[in-house]
Amino acid sequence: MYDDGSNEILQGCNCGGKLFFYIKKSAIEKKEEIIKLSQKEKKQIEEDIYDIIGSQIDREKPIVLDIETIKILKPGKYEIDLVNLFKKQPLIYKLEEGKYVIDLIESFKKMSEK
Amino acid sequence: MAGILKRLLSMFFRNLFKKKKHVKLGLYGPPNGGKTTLANKICKDWLGEEMGAVSNISHETREIQIKEEITIKSNSRELTFNLVDTPGIATKIDYEEFIKEGLKEKEAKTRAKEATKGVIDAIKWLDDMDAVIVVLDASKDPYTQVNITIIGNLEARDIPVLLIGNKIDLKKADIKKVQSAFPQYEVIGISAKYGNNLEDFYEYLFKITT
Repeated sequence: MYDDGSNEILQGCNCGGKLFFYIKKSAIEKKEEIIKLSQKEKKQIEEDIYDIIGSQIDREKPIVLDIETIKILKPGKYEIDLVNLFKKQPLIYKLEEGKYVIDLIESFKKMSEK
Repeated sequence: MAGILKRLLSMFFRNLFKKKKHVKLGLYGPPNGGKTTLANKICKDWLGEEMGAVSNISHETREIQIKEEITIKSNSRELTFNLVDTPGIATKIDYEEFIKEGLKEKEAKTRAKEATKGVIDAIKWLDDMDAVIVVLDASKDPYTQVNITIIGNLEARDIPVLLIGNKIDLKKADIKKVQSAFPQYEVIGISAKYGNNLEDFYEYLFKITT
């Protein structure tokens, strides 16, 4: 687990990983169920996320996935927060040279309009 | 004389504009409600060809499908629209459900991933719609989070809605129950599979889009 704005999140983990799940502090305090995943499952989830969020994403840059909107419990098991998705809550936060947020749904929409 | 000519010209341009306008009509709803079956029926009726594959296994449509320039006619009126068939909207997608329905593990996991992407795409497309046909399975409980969220959002966005209770050919179908769940809309009971009551459906389509 890494703190907001940590070097790992901004530049990627030493292990090579650039995809992070956003976990609210309140969820950690509540000690919500933590699912243990094997290395293979983690890799698979990472690949699936890249497939879901689109090939436009630059894999070289760190990405924080907002798990409030899409929860991936295990490969092939998804929970979707429709209320927030309809509200156009950003699906992912993309970090690039510092911190800023791109609303993926909006940016996709703009792309499709071109 | 000049006045009549002016009126005729204005009517001509208005009609021209009307014909050029492409109404985008979206089919939305939970998985396996019969969206693609209805899309196929509409396309078959007016274009003579089907739109997409249907299956008993849920989440068969996982990508947005568009059929352009469908013109329907009724009582000397015409309506031309682009029909957008969307993937089923769900809150939980679990590959194990697909395994139970006969798919192999790898296939089931891929289907789950594509179905999740489909939900995101369907919601993303909502703002592009001029009107939406919500297709519910009338033999199932209408009081679900998915149905309430979809319909609530369409209402909030002021998108005209045509609410369909599909599968009235099934014994368990209960249009009254669907109607009482969403009293703000008139529910049209149809069977997209067998073509029952489609005249009413087309009539209401004119009402919500014109």
